[in-house]
Amino acid sequence: MEKLEVKKIKLYYFTSKGVIHALDGVSFELRAGETLGVVGESGCGKTTLGTALLNMPTPPGRIVAGEIRLDGVDILKLNENELRKQIRWEKMAMVFQGAMNCLTPVYTIRKQMMETILSHRKMAKEEAEARIIKYLNLVGLSADVLRRYPHELSGGMKQRIVIATALFLEPQIVICDEPTTALDVVVQAQIINLLKKLKQQLKLSFIFITHDLATEAEVADRILVMYAGKVAEIGTNEQIYGPRGAAHPYTQLLMAATPRLRQKVDQLAFIPGTPPDLLAPPAGCRFHLRCPQVMARCRQEEPPLIEIEPAHTVACWRWKQ
Amino acid sequence: MSEVILEVKDLKKWFPLKRSLGQWLRGQRTWMRAVDGVSFQIKKGEIFGLIGESGCGKTTTGKLIMKLIEPTGGQIFFRGEDVTHLSPEALKAYKREVQMIFQDPYASMNPRFRLHQVLAEPLTIHRIGANEQEKRALAAEALTKVKLTPASDFLDRFSHMLSGGQRQRAATARTLILSPSFIVADEPVSMVDLSTRAELLQMMKDIQEELGLTYLYITHDLSTARYFADRIAVMYLGRIVEMGTADELIDHPLHPYTKALIAAVPEPVPGRVNLIKEIPIKGEIPSAAQIPSGCRFHPRCPFAVDDCRHLTAAKLILAGPGHAVACWRYKELD
Amino acid sequence: MKLQELRETLRDFWGEFRKVKYGMVGLVMFFLFLLVVIFEPVLIPFPETGQRWRDITYWEDNPKNAAPVWVNWFKRKDYTPQAVLDKPDFNERKAANTQVAEAVFTYDYKYDLPPIDLLLRATGKGLLNLAVHLERPDGLSIELTKKSFRLSGEAPVRLSLDKEAVGAVGDFLKTYEDPDVLRGVSLFTVKPVEVFFARAAPGILRNPAPLKGEYRIKLTCVAVGSGAFLKEPALTVAGRVFGLMGTDGSKRDIWSGVIVGTKWALLIGLLTSAVAVIIGVFYGVTSAYFGGAVDLVLMRIYEVFQSIPLLPVMIVVSAVFKPSIWMMILMMCAFFWVGSVRTVRSMGLQIKEETYVEAAHALGASQGRIIFKHMLPQVIPYAFASMALQVPVSIVYEASVSLLGLGDATIVTWGQILHDAMQGGAVLQGIWWWIIPPGLFIALMGMTFAFIGFAMDTILNPKLRTR
Repeated sequence: MEKLEVKKIKLYYFTSKGVIHALDGVSFELRAGETLGVVGESGCGKTTLGTALLNMPTPPGRIVAGEIRLDGVDILKLNENELRKQIRWEKMAMVFQGAMNCLTPVYTIRKQMMETILSHRKMAKEEAEARIIKYLNLVGLSADVLRRYPHELSGGMKQRIVIATALFLEPQIVICDEPTTALDVVVQAQIINLLKKLKQQLKLSFIFITHDLATEAEVADRILVMYAGKVAEIGTNEQIYGPRGAAHPYTQLLMAATPRLRQKVDQLAFIPGTPPDLLAPPAGCRFHLRCPQVMARCRQEEPPLIEIEPAHTVACWRWKQ
Repeated sequence: MSEVILEVKDLKKWFPLKRSLGQWLRGQRTWMRAVDGVSFQIKKGEIFGLIGESGCGKTTTGKLIMKLIEPTGGQIFFRGEDVTHLSPEALKAYKREVQMIFQDPYASMNPRFRLHQVLAEPLTIHRIGANEQEKRALAAEALTKVKLTPASDFLDRFSHMLSGGQRQRAATARTLILSPSFIVADEPVSMVDLSTRAELLQMMKDIQEELGLTYLYITHDLSTARYFADRIAVMYLGRIVEMGTADELIDHPLHPYTKALIAAVPEPVPGRVNLIKEIPIKGEIPSAAQIPSGCRFHPRCPFAVDDCRHLTAAKLILAGPGHAVACWRYKELD
Repeated sequence: MKLQELRETLRDFWGEFRKVKYGMVGLVMFFLFLLVVIFEPVLIPFPETGQRWRDITYWEDNPKNAAPVWVNWFKRKDYTPQAVLDKPDFNERKAANTQVAEAVFTYDYKYDLPPIDLLLRATGKGLLNLAVHLERPDGLSIELTKKSFRLSGEAPVRLSLDKEAVGAVGDFLKTYEDPDVLRGVSLFTVKPVEVFFARAAPGILRNPAPLKGEYRIKLTCVAVGSGAFLKEPALTVAGRVFGLMGTDGSKRDIWSGVIVGTKWALLIGLLTSAVAVIIGVFYGVTSAYFGGAVDLVLMRIYEVFQSIPLLPVMIVVSAVFKPSIWMMILMMCAFFWVGSVRTVRSMGLQIKEETYVEAAHALGASQGRIIFKHMLPQVIPYAFASMALQVPVSIVYEASVSLLGLGDATIVTWGQILHDAMQGGAVLQGIWWWIIPPGLFIALMGMTFAFIGFAMDTILNPKLRTR
């Protein structure tokens, strides 16, 4: 893989209450061997983005516009069969949020992993098992876990198994949706270390979805900040977390609201109000209702993504301030 | 600030485990020692943070103090009185003084109740307020205290019609309505979006100052604990391993476990992407049903020596002003 | 305050319920059944059906095993339907000790197959001398019979012309039929009524052609003695087809029976399921809330009840004690409560672990408060759904027991009608109108509540909810 290009993708949920504009023209690209972090509050469309990249929106969602080009091929134009054979889990895999709690409690790990691999590839059982053990070792588990049942394993071990399962078919891109959220802080750090090692060893590209800016700082080469189904800001790790700081007021506020362990903070910032209702998103900039630096233009015109420096784009009318 | 409002002494909660037939015949019992000898004091007006990984017994400690479960051993003193075992009437009175905020505000409110019903429940239980109007007025007052205003907009809503932050505010309002003096807050912000977490903590701090409350803040999140709590105790496998003021404990941790926890916490700063972080801890937390001998942390401790395995576990000893640690080797390691 | 909330809850529920099509079908059917019960007196031609179902005299004027009237629509030859003429031209003269009364019934005969019988009924007292004349459309007048009654008190008089006009028919036949044909025929095998409604021509016996038109039946009565009288004469034309659903082997009107059975079916179904589910819900919630030893004991009792098959027990008990319907309902309640226990208990166990229950404990709530305020309200929707689903089961159980002839003999239920049909050989004789109506009503009633129950289940059962 060389490049994953996402262009103006729109994914709407057609519910009985109306159309939810979950993704509304999101564009970005992912280069080989890079980790792109996606951050935002809950309900901003992070997980939806993950499912959209595999072209498997959750009903009643539909991708209504846009392109997702993987090495030049628009995967939105492929049919279900081609997607399954060529893209999903073959080139792009996803570790779903809470997947570690979705292991079937009545089967051993061996049976579950075997089933996954054999449903995609025709191979002898011994070969499949060898492959499973290879990937288990890669994620830091011994072959011993194969004969265990999910309830006998800790959260960290289960998460490792889920990651190993995603890696079976040697995808080039792995989408991780909140892979560390339900884990304890030590295990969290271990999983993050694991993902970093895998990235280096297997030359993988990651899309790392989380709500936690601090975790993102540890893993992401570039960060995409989402707000209400739109891209607010994209920048490199240095640009977002560096001393010059993020350019979008939303990113700045999120950053100020993140408590820091190694620093004594007297007062944390917060963002008043709640994210807008995506059934009827507000006119103009979607953040204007909560933005402390709002001006008249923000209320009427939607800001485009402006490249303010190389590799750093921001959707804000006031980025210069 | 000096009066001790709550003290626990050698508090224990052991849950019996299911026995096999063989064990049953031999009369053996096995226990899950969720809380196994915890002692601390909380001063009036203080925010005391209880920190640890899942399964360390912090929530059980909270429930013991809240008297939702009966302790297996040890004592609890509230305002100097022993409240370990109470009659039903005394228990009811105790629950007016000590209240609890739960982790999941959505789950902690009956989904079939409107907010005014949620808030009226403690009033009905404790026979406060003569009639519906009076209770409604008290409910509105409590909502105003947690800054859910105008209260009349919220009184008739169901909890699912609120945002995460609003829900936790409403849950806080319910605990405040009995004007307690001590609140057990079990992970009050972990389910709340980052953007409103600070707002909620600020609100809790404001009402604390306004009403002179004392909090027991239970969390797994060191960062918010540092921001929110005055003193912190770190729990591991049912015991406190280190206790001190928030700044002191985090800036100068003494116990190897605390050090590992702190090392593991991510920080929103640049330039760490290609860095594989060294975490000074081995393996995973053992089950509370099989607690290691000697120091409970020794199988995971990179600094463990033979003494740690064989000697009885180290007691909490004062290592500095207001800073206690339970480790045989803390002096050498510091 | 409370009332308003209840109204809102119900409105929300209704909003959801109307989206479930089969639920609405069920509801409409339920209302139809309710209307049937409410308008029962208007709907049934025999007002005393409920009380006198097993009284032969109540039904004696009806034909036996008569098909429903509407079979005429599908037949080439029309059968005479049942008709009651109770408004004759009635004249009476009184003189000294005698009353002379004359009643003329006009009957418009327009069918192909004649009635089975003509029945005269009246009330009288004293010595009554009766004479009946028939005037046919072709101008012939026949004296059908003459008969005297001596009644000491006021009493009913009944005259079956099928029996009484045997003499008259002989004379009539001799006039018109070929003597050769008559020679080999015993007059006792002749059905007089059939002859009188046929064209007066040779072949009247063997091959009668219907004589359509207006017939007049004249009843003359001379009542002798002080206080002797005759009043309220009525003529019943006993037809070959009868009412909406025909008659059974005991001449009973099946339509009336089925309609009267509706209220019993509803009563059995609703009462049994309501009582059973209420017991089950309390049992389940108690078991779940207290847990431990209480749970253990309650569950073992539950298992004992659950493992006893109710039908054999009911059959034995009914055979030995001949219980009333109330006893049967009680018996069903005593077994059906197990139906909802498991689910309620597991719901209860789940609710017990909910944080809001723990929160209520933290607020100092009592056990009663937690059970009644937090646990029961959650279970009630499920209870309603399972109640609806239990209704058809109860009805079918009662029907099964009745089918075996072990039902309550003082009432009419669909199962009992089916039992009679079986006994009367309805299947062998092809008397389908005896079997299909009660069977169909049992099925419809079952469907009604199954539809409502499933609809409620989909709306109220959180596990089935797709949102």
